[in-house]
Amino acid sequence: MRSSISFKVTKKGIVLSINPNTRFNDLKKALQDHVESATNFYAGSDMYINISKCSFKIDQLNQIVNIVRGYKDVKSIVFTSKPIKDEVIKIKDNGETVLINRTLRSGQKVKKAGNVVIIGDINPGAEVIAGGDVIVFGKIRGVVHAGAGGSDHAFVAALKLEPTQLRLSNKIARPPEGSFKSKNIKPEKAFIQDGKIMVEDFEI
Amino acid sequence: MAGKSLVITSGKGGVGKTTTVANLGTALAMMDHKVCLIDADIGLRNLDVVMGLENRIVYDIVDVVEENCRLEQALIRDKRHKNLFLLPAAQTRDKTAVKPSQMKKLVKDLKKEMDYVIIDSPAGIEQGFKNAIAGADFALIVTTPEVSAVRDADRIIGLLEAEGLKNPEVIINRINPEMVKRGDMMDIEDIIEILAVKLKGIVPEDSVIIVSSNRGEPVVLKEDPKAGQAFKNIAKRITGQEVTFLTLEDDGFFTKLKKIFSLS
Repeated sequence: MRSSISFKVTKKGIVLSINPNTRFNDLKKALQDHVESATNFYAGSDMYINISKCSFKIDQLNQIVNIVRGYKDVKSIVFTSKPIKDEVIKIKDNGETVLINRTLRSGQKVKKAGNVVIIGDINPGAEVIAGGDVIVFGKIRGVVHAGAGGSDHAFVAALKLEPTQLRLSNKIARPPEGSFKSKNIKPEKAFIQDGKIMVEDFEI
Repeated sequence: MAGKSLVITSGKGGVGKTTTVANLGTALAMMDHKVCLIDADIGLRNLDVVMGLENRIVYDIVDVVEENCRLEQALIRDKRHKNLFLLPAAQTRDKTAVKPSQMKKLVKDLKKEMDYVIIDSPAGIEQGFKNAIAGADFALIVTTPEVSAVRDADRIIGLLEAEGLKNPEVIINRINPEMVKRGDMMDIEDIIEILAVKLKGIVPEDSVIIVSSNRGEPVVLKEDPKAGQAFKNIAKRITGQEVTFLTLEDDGFFTKLKKIFSLS
């Protein structure tokens, strides 16, 4: 089945195109799922919803508007029925990787569309949000969100994984209460399996 | 000869910034350096009280900045050491009364006359903090062995680095040797591991501090208290002397400290 919605990132904002051959209920479901998994990943950007070649009843349009309002902190939402020609910035699933060569301290935040590699620690109170994977050559003690656009294949790996909170795609996990904090380095990797966040030793 | 300016800051309130400023200033003055303390906590001034100089204030830092008086007129000479001065904060104004650029100029002017200019930063990360760090050559961060204080110290280090104040050093205040021994307190090793900065000194918890603050007599004036010793040692380290870290009764604790130092 061709997906009912597709996304493009342009210099001006996010373009969401609706496949005109989709049944309305499938479209609704796809939109709802996407809104849920995106959480606040699109915060601060403009969103253009391309409904060219689609025909909706007024009531259906209203329903769509209500669903897309669920995108948190999006700057503006524009509906258009003309094809959008803006230049597309290509971000593949595992496209760009950003290297950060320092420790992130409390209050510092990194947000990238691709993968993030950090040489240093993520201290408590610091936050990393990545559309792709997050790899840390150091200790994770802050909050990390990998696959923030809704990618279930994203993973987080660190030399020491003791996050305040770990988010993968739309899943959230936190370490068990009173869990033992070891002094030793122990590389671990977190990923999604069967809809749950799993953590296992990182085999080198 | 231009002096050095340092800011004492912490993020969290109540960890002992003002006490540290009063004691380091007094200790440096006792070592025959010419020192000026600046209270940058406009609206919530305390340093004058801790120094016992409250009743001598005529002009304050806002008067200097607004040119109601000359800088020398606002400086209060300490009652015990003639080479120690205080530039008090205004109590009836707020942090917006001074701009970072004005602080920079003020500290620059003071450095011409003084060996050391020590700035007492307010708690928080807003305008008052920005004012306090504006003229500083380097920063000392005060923290206590509590998770929240260490977290704030970490945030402050990040902000200082962003402002170009590299390599700040940390003072861990209110260490309770008994509690550390029992494992009830964050130990120094953990704190330094998270903050990843150099340790400048440790100050043991001591009820004498409260008494001396209330009386307006910094604890370094007395011979005995360990806390006073600790501040004197930090003052010596500021002047570039190598001083070994204090023994806090407990041998095990000391060995542990030595271990940290050989690591860093």
